[in-house]
Amino acid sequence: MTMLRPLLWMVAVLAVWECALRVAPDNLLISSPSAIAGYVSNNAALLARATLETSVNAAWGFVWGNLVAVILGTTIIVFPRSERTLSALSLLVFCVPLIASGPILRVLFGPGSGPQITLAALAVYYTTLLALLVGLRAVSQSWTDLMRIYDRGPVSTLIRVRARASLPYLFVGLQISAPAAFLGAMIGEFTGAERGLGVLTLRAMRGLDTDATWALAFFSAMIAMAAYGLMGWLGRRLVGYRPVILLSAPAAPTHRSACMRVSEIGFIIALVLILWQLSMDAFDLNRYFAKRPGDVWIFLTDAANRNTLLSALAETMSFAAPGYLAGLALGAGLAAMLVLWPALNRAAMPVAVALRAVPIITTAPLLVLAFGRGLIGTTVVVAVMIFFPTFVACHQGLRQTPGQIVDLFRSYDAGRWHLLRAAQFPAMLPALFASARMAVPAALLAVTTVEWLATGKGVGVLMAMTASTSNYNMLWSCVAILAVVAMAVYSAVAALERAVLRVYASEQLS
Amino acid sequence: MACVDIHCDNITKRFGATEVVAPFSVTLAAGHTTALVGPSGCGKSTILRIIAGLDTPDGGTVALGGDPPKTLAKRGALAMAFQDPSLLPWRSVRANIALGAELARKPAGDVDALIDLVGLSSFADHRPAELSGGMRQRAAIARSLISAPEVLLLDEPFGAVDAMTRRRLNEELPPLWRSRGATVVLVTHSVQEAVLLSDRVLVLSPRPARLVADIPVDLSGPRENTLAQTDKFAALSRRVFAALEECA
Ligand SMILES: Nc1ncnc2c1ncn2[C@@H]1O[C@H](COP(=O)(O)OP(=O)(O)OP(=O)(O)O)[C@@H](O)[C@H]1O
Ligand SMILES: [Mg+2]
Repeated sequence: MTMLRPLLWMVAVLAVWECALRVAPDNLLISSPSAIAGYVSNNAALLARATLETSVNAAWGFVWGNLVAVILGTTIIVFPRSERTLSALSLLVFCVPLIASGPILRVLFGPGSGPQITLAALAVYYTTLLALLVGLRAVSQSWTDLMRIYDRGPVSTLIRVRARASLPYLFVGLQISAPAAFLGAMIGEFTGAERGLGVLTLRAMRGLDTDATWALAFFSAMIAMAAYGLMGWLGRRLVGYRPVILLSAPAAPTHRSACMRVSEIGFIIALVLILWQLSMDAFDLNRYFAKRPGDVWIFLTDAANRNTLLSALAETMSFAAPGYLAGLALGAGLAAMLVLWPALNRAAMPVAVALRAVPIITTAPLLVLAFGRGLIGTTVVVAVMIFFPTFVACHQGLRQTPGQIVDLFRSYDAGRWHLLRAAQFPAMLPALFASARMAVPAALLAVTTVEWLATGKGVGVLMAMTASTSNYNMLWSCVAILAVVAMAVYSAVAALERAVLRVYASEQLS
Repeated sequence: MACVDIHCDNITKRFGATEVVAPFSVTLAAGHTTALVGPSGCGKSTILRIIAGLDTPDGGTVALGGDPPKTLAKRGALAMAFQDPSLLPWRSVRANIALGAELARKPAGDVDALIDLVGLSSFADHRPAELSGGMRQRAAIARSLISAPEVLLLDEPFGAVDAMTRRRLNEELPPLWRSRGATVVLVTHSVQEAVLLSDRVLVLSPRPARLVADIPVDLSGPRENTLAQTDKFAALSRRVFAALEECA
């Protein structure tokens, strides 16, 4: 029965969709289920080959990315002093939109699947790292006391206690990152591969082939959701219980002096520049395409270059900002509505949880098709990208309102709005802000991907053009500036978060 | 077996603004069992944690056999049963108990005999989640005993154990640690248990903990529950109660 109901719903939706298109057949935007099925059956062999290619790359990226996450997570736990530096570096790498690293990896790796695998790894490691860190720390003090009674150090505690205690959390991270690996591999294919679903998607879009675009979007979404389902099933089989976690690093503590924080930021920047220079030199990469910090600096001292970059950036930001805000507002708003009208819950939640798993970028071509290549289309893609994770997190946050407080309000017969405003909304704030921080890189990824694929504006297109113009200085400058902007906005949101949480939820700040 | 005495010299501890341990000095003879009694929240667990080296005192020193607690911990000669059992949920009862020997780098010896002693034989392969609170506590006690520690710290070990099992454990466990010459500090809320199990009862004042009475327990013969009916036992219990009431 539980399996049957969604199935019936799906059949009903497909039927209505098909009939609507039969009634109004001259439609260049929307493809009918029968047309999609037709495309799939006519191109079965092609699709199968492309799917295999993309899935294999995604799987390798998944393995490498998670391996890195596990190494980083355990290093942070065993050497707590490394935490600030390692998390800052991980965040910085996470902040570079995949579509920006794509072309650079392409010139570094040359042809082949190196970039796709690397991008898939980049797409997964941060989510897994955050989930794993929460898990590695989710041990009660009495367990660590027990280890200390026998003078066992951090390594022994890691092996005997933390590793096992973190498994359920690790699996939540793996589950969320499984579709992300697929997303990474597809973005890698957007930036110049020979085979794969991403390549087919790009071709379908450029050729304005509506049926193919729809079919490919559907197909990719299905595979991503299957990966999500598979990891969820594996997690349930192996560890059983699923913890609720906010996939976000906690807000940094504030009790450090401004001077210390500035010197810390300076240290991180210096470290990044040195690592950048050294890694290029160590592999003896050709200066023609593997630019060093100094090259970018010289390039940007030219006012003309700077102006080109900054005006493209302004364009990108003007597209990203409305989508970012709309996505957050819609996510939080819908979550609040579900609390006010719980009857909606049963209908909306499963859909939202499922759709959160879909790498929205794979449906970006559809959204652009439907909403146009301008401001509206871009805003919709960005908003949709941010909406689902925000909604799910806020919904979980609202449900964290302590039951006793809810009962207290009930005992005074306080209305739903009153309860929402006075008790539930403050309980949701940590989740909302955590989502707002994580949404910053997501928004930049969405907007640059749409620019690259469709709109022909902004930083995305500047990067796409380097493929033909070989202006690698511009490419590296774009990547650097996007990372800086993402980090700056992320930090600004984190500062706002601390200020708000200090008032509403001081227990969240340790 | 080496016998280790415990020496607390003017230890103090505060958490923020609350003073939890006032200057506290005591020497506990090697091989003896000492009971700590005092009102709830007075700082008993804190003193035990300081002796174990889990908390560092703000002032004063602790020495176990002349060394800091860490030295004993290093050679696996220290064990503690915590107020909450803190078993690892993914290990069976047997594996949880064996963990005590594993962590102390000692051979596990006869785990099943110990499991039998604490009455968990039919649950040896169960997970902690399937046990009652009292059963978990018994597993935790067994875990602390398995490494044959020289210093054993018991924080209300029988708090959740039912009355009948508690009576039995009160008779059967002390001979085990006495025969090994262990120095034991036992925190308990039961005055009767304190007198029955120990060579000495220390009565603590409400927070901040300071020593208000130091009562030697000079009962001869085996420590059996029937002792409680003797006049000598009753007199000792009365002294402990009186000390508790006086400072309350
Ligand atoms: N980590 C801590 N931070 C702040 N206060 C603490 C901490 N640990 C203990 N306290 C405080 O110290 C006091 C003594 O605590 P302790 O646990 O030692 O009491 P206790 O005598 O063992 O009580 P009980 O008999 O209820 O177990 C209490 O008031 C407690 O609130
Ligand atoms: Mg206590």
